[in-house]
Amino acid sequence: MFLSATFRPLVLVCLAAWAGPPVLTAQDDPSEEKTSSLGKQYESIVNVECSALRVDYRTPWNAATPSGGTGTAFLIAPNLFMTNAHVVSDASRIVIKKVGDSTPHRARVKFVAHDCDLALLELEEPSPSFAKVVPLTISTEIPKLDTTVRVVGFPIGGERISVTRGVVSRVDYQPYSHSGVDQHLAIQIDAAINPGNSGGPVLQGNKVVGVAFQGYSGDVAQNTGYMIPVPVIRRFLKDVEDGSYDRYGELAIQHYPILNPAQRKALNLPGEDTGVLITAVDSTGTCGGILKVGDVLLALDGYPVDNNGSINIDGELTEMAEVVERKFVGDKLKLKVWRDGKEQEFEVVLKNFPAYLMQANQYDKQPEYLMHAGLVFQPLDNELMGAFSLNNLRTRYYFNYYTQDEIYKDLPEVVVLTSVLPDAINTWIRDYTGQVVEEINGVKIKSLKDAADALAREPEGTHLTIRLAGEGRPIVLEKQLIAPAHERISRKYGVGSDRYIAP
Amino acid sequence: MKIRLLFAALLLALARPAVATAAPSPETSILRVNITSQGYNFALPWQKQRPSTRRGLGALLEGNRILVTAELAQDANYIELEQAASGKRITARVEAVDYEINLATIVPDEAPGDFFKGMEPLALDTTLKPRATLEVWQFENNGTPVSSSVDFNRVDLGPYFLEDQFFLIFQANGAVQYRSGTFTLPVIHQGKLAGMLLRYNSRDQVSDILPASIVDRFLKDAATPPYEGVPSFGVRMAPTLDPQLRSYLKLDAPNGGILITDVTPGFSAAEAGVKQGDVIVEMNGYKLDARGSYQDPEYGLLGSGHLARGKAAAGEVMKLKIIRDGQPLDLDVPLLRKKPQDYLVDPYVYDRQPRYYILGGVLFQELTLPFLQLAGKEWRDRAAFRLVYAQANQDEFLKAGRKKLVFISGVLPAPCTIGYERMSGLIVNQVNGKDITDLDSLVEAVKSPANGIHRIDVQDGPRTIYLDDAQAKQDNAEFLPARYRITAMENLK
Repeated sequence: MFLSATFRPLVLVCLAAWAGPPVLTAQDDPSEEKTSSLGKQYESIVNVECSALRVDYRTPWNAATPSGGTGTAFLIAPNLFMTNAHVVSDASRIVIKKVGDSTPHRARVKFVAHDCDLALLELEEPSPSFAKVVPLTISTEIPKLDTTVRVVGFPIGGERISVTRGVVSRVDYQPYSHSGVDQHLAIQIDAAINPGNSGGPVLQGNKVVGVAFQGYSGDVAQNTGYMIPVPVIRRFLKDVEDGSYDRYGELAIQHYPILNPAQRKALNLPGEDTGVLITAVDSTGTCGGILKVGDVLLALDGYPVDNNGSINIDGELTEMAEVVERKFVGDKLKLKVWRDGKEQEFEVVLKNFPAYLMQANQYDKQPEYLMHAGLVFQPLDNELMGAFSLNNLRTRYYFNYYTQDEIYKDLPEVVVLTSVLPDAINTWIRDYTGQVVEEINGVKIKSLKDAADALAREPEGTHLTIRLAGEGRPIVLEKQLIAPAHERISRKYGVGSDRYIAP
Repeated sequence: MKIRLLFAALLLALARPAVATAAPSPETSILRVNITSQGYNFALPWQKQRPSTRRGLGALLEGNRILVTAELAQDANYIELEQAASGKRITARVEAVDYEINLATIVPDEAPGDFFKGMEPLALDTTLKPRATLEVWQFENNGTPVSSSVDFNRVDLGPYFLEDQFFLIFQANGAVQYRSGTFTLPVIHQGKLAGMLLRYNSRDQVSDILPASIVDRFLKDAATPPYEGVPSFGVRMAPTLDPQLRSYLKLDAPNGGILITDVTPGFSAAEAGVKQGDVIVEMNGYKLDARGSYQDPEYGLLGSGHLARGKAAAGEVMKLKIIRDGQPLDLDVPLLRKKPQDYLVDPYVYDRQPRYYILGGVLFQELTLPFLQLAGKEWRDRAAFRLVYAQANQDEFLKAGRKKLVFISGVLPAPCTIGYERMSGLIVNQVNGKDITDLDSLVEAVKSPANGIHRIDVQDGPRTIYLDDAQAKQDNAEFLPARYRITAMENLK
């Protein structure tokens, strides 16, 4: 499920080791299971070195800046390694190294799921050195609270394997910091997890019960590492069986607990502790046109929903989202709803809700832009907000309330005048950057392509006219000055191509 | 009648020589003003904040009036006038105050007896121009007068006290030793009051002085009630330096003119028909340059805000020459004043209690800027986004028929509010099916719950809040007064 924009945890950090000052490696606890077969047991666990290219959104026409990091992966099937999405995001080259084998093996991403921070890698050329390695088995169960688990990986890079040990501290929904907007079930453990552990297996007995993926920086909380649990791993593996990753389906609703007796009385709602109030229904989402604001959701697929939005699955109280998390896009879902003083049943087909991705961290994606006479236009997303520190109140409104106020229905893309490459033609409009483009030559702009089309057409009057949302001062350029300025600016500022608009 | 006039004139003539002998000095013409202020707590509006006492200096004017800045007199609870040397004190009260131009007069509470004996009121020097040496008067702790010389060399518009309000400022250079740790310092030119020191930057040794001409307009206005105050022009403007903008607006290069980018409904400019896209080229006969400045006959280049506000009075008519769609147009703008209460979001609230209404622990308020400023200096980033947005886009809400922005500022945990504790910053749209335009409309709507349940529709969060009327009444009567020591469940004044 995705998180509403109002709740954004900032402290969770992904645990791929990026170039930076060295940190002490966590020490292994002496382990009973650390026997003579140690080498064999861990030989399916490999070091991943990823060279990444991250484009600077402020100069989107430039080639990206190379950076790199390391993480851990483990073999789950012949030539199939599991790791975290954040270990291999924006990869230009991936290399896998086996313990005790200095040969780097080039690998590529087969599937990546940024919403649950998992990825599958394969070697570009299957190597004989992995031929006899036995893949790890993924457990079918969530480990019990207070049971011991081992985290295996390559914290802080390193050639040698590291093992740390701890107990399962908590099983709960957690924000997944890689995308910044998703939350799923996660398991908190108190084993030391450090940068570089990312993507490594968490073992109980000889089975994988989780993938280490994030933690808090030391000044927020101590001894809290998080792993992606079996249900999320298995769901990912099942999703990609058809050859593509289809992301999670979303109910795309918001709800509020029914804890006040007056709510129950006003809604004429029987019982004492069932049902949550539906407070928002995204009209293009799974429940659009079916659920209404003010409905009370009583049950999901037969699981009664309590007044706080929890359900009981196999004796465990968990968030009702868990029912949805276990399903796939296209699956059916039964809703029992209290409306107009009586129960009603609906069946919905689970859909993606892509609009919320605008607020997510973006990966493996070439940023779109359009440069016209030094004016740079880009579609609004989370990366753009960060790169330009966009602070204009109206721009912040479009970003924060993009899904909540269903702005996406009117504006598939929010086009922002992000910057101006200074030149005589545009020297007086530098103060107006960071604002949302509403109209170009009288045409309403609903996407970057709209902007490109509008700019390509000859304006009727003497000037190209751009209206920014909530700004009374029009941005105007004299028609005949544009073409020479555009050419001059492209050359001076090294803008090789004046646009990238994704097909 | 004639006799009485003559008699009065005689008395005056008799009195004159006696005071004229003493040339004004700090001892004869300025007083310590000790003010204990206590503003309201905007988060818990039924109570006041911790009182704080500040000490400033006031300039004695004709009629035993003491001039101070409004900043010093804000939310005054208790005022003392003090003779610096003798320490003699009398109690006093605020007679008139204008927070926009940051001035207040203070008068003794009762007949002052001989408190002012031997003192000399200051006259105003309203004709002061740059290149003059001024004195800043203060007292040492022991009452010894101190005078610092500063050189007045620059005139500009700058902020006085409230955010985003700009008025005439005299800037002076020179070291001012801070003796009183005070706000108001009288500034003197040749024995007359030249203005009040607003700020002093010790690093650059620059003093910002509120000039006597502004004091003069304040005193004259206050002398003839009702107090009119500074008019509210109600436009946003952008420079027209950009030659391409000028050709787009069909303006003749290289002349001036300032582009109107926004007009606030209900304010002077909008009421007189000024429109977005107009270019003002002349105000009251003064030509505006492309930055919106004009050549002031006394002070040189100044922002047009001085013509529209600082120099103008409500009730006057501002003569505009504008260019609309390339055509010249003359427009008379009768200048209106807007009180803070006339805004959707009050820009300031002093000397009065914020309006609020409590229903079973749910605290309803009308949005004010001081409420937003509870979030600190960075309130635009930190306060509830919807409220910040509303403050910046008040027109949208006014056009939708709201007079005030009613919102739930918080919830006091009480039996009635179980499950609602975390709500805050929610804009209220309807109560019991009725549109909420201000707190009064909410109070009216609360009278008619359906089947004993109130239905409150809000912008975000639960969207619909249900409250039990009987429980709310009971909590208002018992729980809230007892547990939270709330003495009044509403303030609708």
